[in-house]
Amino acid sequence: MRIYFELALRAFRQLFAYQAAMLAGIFTNSVFGVMLSAVYLALFRSHADGTSVEGFSARETVTYVWIGQALIAPVMIWGWWEIIKTIRTGAIVTDMLKPLSFFGFWLSRDLGRAMGHLLLRGVPTLIIGALFYDLVYPGTPGRWLAFLVSIPFAVIVSFCFRFIINLWGFWVLDHRGIAGIAIVIVGVASGHLLPIAWYPNAFRDVLNMLPFRAIVMLPVEIWLGQVGIVEGLGLQVFWILVMTAAAHWLQSVAERKVVVQGG
Amino acid sequence: MDSILTLRQECRIAIRIAGIRLRGQMAYPASFWMQIFSSFVIHAAEILALLAMFNRFNDMGGWTLGEVAFLHGISMTAFSIGDTIAVGLDSVPNQIREGEFDRVLIRPLSSWIQTVVSEVSLRHLGQCAQGLVILGFALTWTDIQWTLQKALFMPVVIATGVALFVALFTLVAILSFWTVNSIEVVNAFTYGGSDLAQFPLHIFDRWMRNLFLFVIPVGFTAYYPALYILGKDDPLGMPDTFRFLGPVVTAGFCLVVAWGWNQGIRHYRSTGS
Repeated sequence: MRIYFELALRAFRQLFAYQAAMLAGIFTNSVFGVMLSAVYLALFRSHADGTSVEGFSARETVTYVWIGQALIAPVMIWGWWEIIKTIRTGAIVTDMLKPLSFFGFWLSRDLGRAMGHLLLRGVPTLIIGALFYDLVYPGTPGRWLAFLVSIPFAVIVSFCFRFIINLWGFWVLDHRGIAGIAIVIVGVASGHLLPIAWYPNAFRDVLNMLPFRAIVMLPVEIWLGQVGIVEGLGLQVFWILVMTAAAHWLQSVAERKVVVQGG
Repeated sequence: MDSILTLRQECRIAIRIAGIRLRGQMAYPASFWMQIFSSFVIHAAEILALLAMFNRFNDMGGWTLGEVAFLHGISMTAFSIGDTIAVGLDSVPNQIREGEFDRVLIRPLSSWIQTVVSEVSLRHLGQCAQGLVILGFALTWTDIQWTLQKALFMPVVIATGVALFVALFTLVAILSFWTVNSIEVVNAFTYGGSDLAQFPLHIFDRWMRNLFLFVIPVGFTAYYPALYILGKDDPLGMPDTFRFLGPVVTAGFCLVVAWGWNQGIRHYRSTGS
């Protein structure tokens, strides 16, 4: 276990070397936060009846926007293709020869990276949102804690999905087509583009039954109190188990396909 | 810098180089179509989110779905064409870092044209197709009172948008003559500007409106022309001439950027590695 912790720690520390990139990221996420807040507030301003739309008041929606912006870097909404790169260069062979779990090797490093991104990009972005907007906060210490726990859970589910689509590289070397589809699936089904509750009812019900909800929407729902703590975290754990099993199964199939590139 | 070539000769050379690069790209047709497909799908999600938004709400700051979709259509089309033209400018920071920009300067062709044609990629045309599709839907969802002037104004609006975005990408490249670090900050203005232009300008806070109207004039190439074509009132109470100022403002912006490019070239010092 110790080795995985050390791998995570190194990935975490690595991020501290890129301070300018971090500031740029915070700035960009904040600009988009301000922009999206304005878009949603405009929708609510001309909303005639009542204040809440499918469980979201204007304040709760703005809170959703800023949590969403803060989570972009930790859960890598825009995709991540590190494993495919190693397939293309052939470096994957040495990674697979290491006396470690191949899955655990990448997962621990990704968790370290995600915690670094959370601390250096996510938290500052959320603080900026809190300074400029009247956000809603978790009512009890228990909810704060549950939210904090839900973030590494979200990262693991997102990692499993990214791991699975990276293994696609064993079959196809050009990942750009699948990358486009993956960004759309995660963008829509995680609730990153729009709260899942606002999609047409039938579509919403389907999205709520998919693992992607665990990546953005469940942490938001836990923060806003829209889902019970046990139910929310339990659902995330369920998806971690399912997705991890799927990732391992696919890896075992893919390993038999290894064709060494480069050389 | 005095040019040995006439503008016409420069353009002819540029088109030939672009053609060569394009043929190179077409050597891998599967990869080429995959990229276009990918760009098309990514932007389909944006449209899906917009439709879903209007599934729960009736209007956005007094604008209907069709009207916002119209704005999405013209912005996406203009941005994607601009992005297609400007792909080569993305590589300027790298060229500078690796000292390769020296080579650009010794050739007797405009440094800007060389940079633009240094890479030609049609991958953003997937987004353009998406923009045209949503524009088509917008035209059926809205009840525009078409006149000859409006019909003639449409291509002008798209062309101004394209020119402005190319100028914005050039601006990013210019900054890299001074610093090659943290240029990502500027993405907030290019990509942010194009995203912002997809929504009615009056819903944003005053500082943001002023920024994207008077500093980075995307409001003049999307929102105001849209007010004219859609026949809507301006809640900001600006003069009616604002609706037609786009081409003038963009021309002015391009002149400033062109001046900036020359300053950048003059400031350029080789990395000497």
